[in-house]
Amino acid sequence: MPNPIDVVEAMLFATDVPLEAERIREVLDLENVAAARSLVEELIARYEAEPRGLAIVEVGGGYRMVTRPELAPWLVRLARARTKVRLSRPALETLAIIAYKQPVSRPELDAVRGVNSDAVLDNLLERRLVRIGGRKEAPGRPFLYETTREFLVAFGLRDLNDLPKVEGELVIPDLAAEAAAAAEHGQAETEQDPGPSGTDVPTRG
Amino acid sequence: MTEPTSEITPEAAAAGELRLRVGAFEGPLDLLLHLCRTEEIDLAALPVRTITDQYLAHLEAMEFRDLETAGAYLVMAATLIYLKSKLLVPPDETEEQLDDEALALKQELEERLREYARVKVQGTWLAQREAEQALVFGRLSSTLPPAEDVPLEDLSVHWLERSLKRLIEEQQRLRPRQVEPNPPSVLERMTEILTLLRDTWSLLFSSMAGGERKRSEIVVSLLAVLELCRQGKIRTQQTELFGDIVIERQPAVMGESEGAEAPSVQQEDSLGA
Repeated sequence: MPNPIDVVEAMLFATDVPLEAERIREVLDLENVAAARSLVEELIARYEAEPRGLAIVEVGGGYRMVTRPELAPWLVRLARARTKVRLSRPALETLAIIAYKQPVSRPELDAVRGVNSDAVLDNLLERRLVRIGGRKEAPGRPFLYETTREFLVAFGLRDLNDLPKVEGELVIPDLAAEAAAAAEHGQAETEQDPGPSGTDVPTRG
Repeated sequence: MTEPTSEITPEAAAAGELRLRVGAFEGPLDLLLHLCRTEEIDLAALPVRTITDQYLAHLEAMEFRDLETAGAYLVMAATLIYLKSKLLVPPDETEEQLDDEALALKQELEERLREYARVKVQGTWLAQREAEQALVFGRLSSTLPPAEDVPLEDLSVHWLERSLKRLIEEQQRLRPRQVEPNPPSVLERMTEILTLLRDTWSLLFSSMAGGERKRSEIVVSLLAVLELCRQGKIRTQQTELFGDIVIERQPAVMGESEGAEAPSVQQEDSLGA
């Protein structure tokens, strides 16, 4: 019997979806989920003790093996492409509404945004970030939308509780927070610069 | 916390009130929120008068891509104007006084604005997360053999519909395309009919429509027959509903055949009634 930690590592390497602790328990025939978790934690500790190109993160209700963020510039160079296509501001806001209010119908979305959300919603469905979760028992029985596991993975969230709570009272809608976020956003983007050559620098906007 | 705010505000103020972001607004709420921000307005106490004037000034400068978007902006404009009109009614203008109905409307608007502001913050947060996650690469497909059972809980109606559409499209692409010969013209078909009628007294419409019974053939034949009827070159009879149409040559010389013609017209009339 090989070391179970090695099995966990191999499993994380081989799968393309977040690996749940429960699946690890099942495959390794462990007593309980806690045992599976401690195996993963041990593996994570190993990775952290001796940094390498990969890291193990908890996301979308499971574990995933991913590359370390600092290495992104070289991977971008490898891919000979810009980084992933980002969502537009309307798309992000629509996604935020769905994430916080789910399940939510299109009329409700439109009401919050004050505009029609058809095209934006199609885009999100196409990217599998949201899905139709059912129908609302209201006139017209509109579809209800909810976020998917892909959403959690794409945004690096363990579960929906990872979404920050935004307090009800917002006097001048957080100019400070937004400015700070914008600054970080910019920083994150400059970090992606692969260096002097700068050929694959993601362009803004 | 206050530092960035104080940095941004003079900037916005210096740019002046008429700093237009035409077309950059996502909707009426976005525009309203933008106005509130540049004016440093507390969303819990919306100054209806100022904000309405500014909103309308912006609206005039905007160009709309479609009616629906324009409609959304106009609904908001109407709400604001309504609220403002309510304010103008009472003689005492020292305080912004509104009746219950208008007050409820104003509060609803303020709540919507606050909610939208919250959504904007959440959207910004998501954008930040997205940027962070863009630096992380994981496996997108696995070389493990696929599971024998499909995890149905991850599927949505949208994807089912997409897959079905794609399948149908593929099927249609696989089928060899039929190259259709040009359908004969009505004039050609008319000449054909007359040529045929030179040798025989009558012929059936079904024999005209072509062996393959293509729709275009039938249409052209029918038009040809109708045109010939109009010109008085042929006569037609249909003895029963949906029955075959008998096409006859119109006798050039009105003689003994005239008597035979009259009853047939009568017959057709009675059928029509």
